[in-house]
Amino acid sequence: MTRKAWAGRRGRSQAATRAGMVVPAVMIYVGLLVVPVGYAVYYSLTDYNGFPSQTPEFTGLDNYREVFSSTDITAAMVVTGIVAAAGAALVNVAALGLALLLRQTNRFNTFGRIVMFYPHVLSALVVGFLWQALLGPQGVVNAMMEKAGASSLPFLSDETWALWTMIFVIAWALFGVQLVIYLAGLQTISPDLVEAARIDGAGRWQVFRAVTWPSLAPTVTVAIITSCLSLLKTYDVVVSLTGGGPAGSTKTLAYNILAVSFPERRVGLASAQAVVLVVAAAVLAFTVLALRRRAEEGAESVG
Amino acid sequence: MRTSPRLAGTARVAFVSLLSLFMLAPMYILVINAFKDQQAILTSPFTIDLGSATTKYLADAWSNPDFSVPYGYAVTLLLVAAVNALSIGVCTSAAYVLARTPTRVFRLVLMFFVAGMFVPTQVILIPVIFVLRGLGLMGTLPGLILFLTATTIPFTLFVFVGFIRMLPRALDEAAAIDGAGAQYTLWRIIFPLMRPIVATVFILNALSVWNDFASPQVILGPGSDVYTVTTGVYAAVGAYSADYTKVFPTLLLAVIPILVLFVVLQRHVMSGLAAGSVKG
Repeated sequence: MTRKAWAGRRGRSQAATRAGMVVPAVMIYVGLLVVPVGYAVYYSLTDYNGFPSQTPEFTGLDNYREVFSSTDITAAMVVTGIVAAAGAALVNVAALGLALLLRQTNRFNTFGRIVMFYPHVLSALVVGFLWQALLGPQGVVNAMMEKAGASSLPFLSDETWALWTMIFVIAWALFGVQLVIYLAGLQTISPDLVEAARIDGAGRWQVFRAVTWPSLAPTVTVAIITSCLSLLKTYDVVVSLTGGGPAGSTKTLAYNILAVSFPERRVGLASAQAVVLVVAAAVLAFTVLALRRRAEEGAESVG
Repeated sequence: MRTSPRLAGTARVAFVSLLSLFMLAPMYILVINAFKDQQAILTSPFTIDLGSATTKYLADAWSNPDFSVPYGYAVTLLLVAAVNALSIGVCTSAAYVLARTPTRVFRLVLMFFVAGMFVPTQVILIPVIFVLRGLGLMGTLPGLILFLTATTIPFTLFVFVGFIRMLPRALDEAAAIDGAGAQYTLWRIIFPLMRPIVATVFILNALSVWNDFASPQVILGPGSDVYTVTTGVYAAVGAYSADYTKVFPTLLLAVIPILVLFVVLQRHVMSGLAAGSVKG
């Protein structure tokens, strides 16, 4: 056998080994994540009740028309948008502010970090039930207020109140995660830069504007993307805190898909909503990433 | 005028302390009210009265036929272990190949995987039902394990590839000269060096599997007898959320073990989260 042929055969068998090592991951990922997204796109163009005996009937864009014209679903989209935008703003401002306060590592701050983070290990469903017991019409807080002579507050029984209560509860449970991300980001800022700014006579706010904030930019992007993406799929808290009510005022799109359209056996409609949400998530992620890249390039050309 | 550093320090400590109290208040109320009857919860939810404290409702919650806490924990821990083992197993070998073969095809494969990080997984659960039905795994633990593994693969693979790229290739070459095959090199030489990143991934995946409610709810379904901590809590509390003698004791039993685990491991959990903060 010539040397070249041998090398060729060895190369081929190596390539086969390599492909073989990637296959299991590809199979699970494609089978249970990519194929379902494909199915969602396909079902979204059909009328299907989900029974194995029925075949999906092709109906074109009917489901999408319904998604964008049904007042129930558009309302759910608006709620999802408010939850994602207001929730992300609240979570990130709170987390960044606290990260600056808890920056130094000492006992007190470590305790503070643990206390801010712990709701995350409780799971959103449990957090929702807990706050429901606290803020419900007969809940702990209202019982106390009535006892103190004040009138009770409609935390979960008024439509506007319920939405903002839900956003507050989500932020309560979520901002600890972003806090950890911001603390990690703050660790990467070189103390030399801060010191140099101080020597040049910069005050606290100036140091933050000129050193901390620009160095933190990548962290801010990551924190905003991750918080927006996880808020876009808000479902568990809706189930346990409000059940979508009152009068559908806290129904998110994910809740509408899993708790309304699916039990109604409207697989096509549920899939169309899922596709809308997947597209929204992708657009959001790519927009934030692109903005960030542009900001980075801008910073480079200035520097 | 500038505030004195001392005053600012005191204000900072005071603010953080107040906020900490606010964060802990729900937990305090959960714990003390698990020992009270409905009347006591409604009239004096903030006070501790050892005289009238009772463990009756905790005992009721413990023996609830809809939700056995030890069973829920066993199933959830099994899920965490199985999903992590499978995900880390398949991603380690895939990441090794993708990191060490910088050809165009493999770069595209990596991007194809990374795109999965942005898919809101609970939203595609309905089509997942049909895939699992086709595989005969709908309503079963293996089906749930496979799906949850798929949701963890994009992130796991992404950070593994990044990590392996930083390991010097000289390691592989030295092993190859000594006659080691790809599998041997990977599992005996590369994998042991990946310990920090494996620990990070383990913690993050464990948290997301642990906290998941939608996937077990849809895939295991109401008809099956298998439940996790979250679906069990839902079955036990969902319909009785105004009966606080059910809500507080059930929630308390459900959260205590994980809270204890978190406090013991908090340093690792939080540093793992910080290291993997790109997760969506």
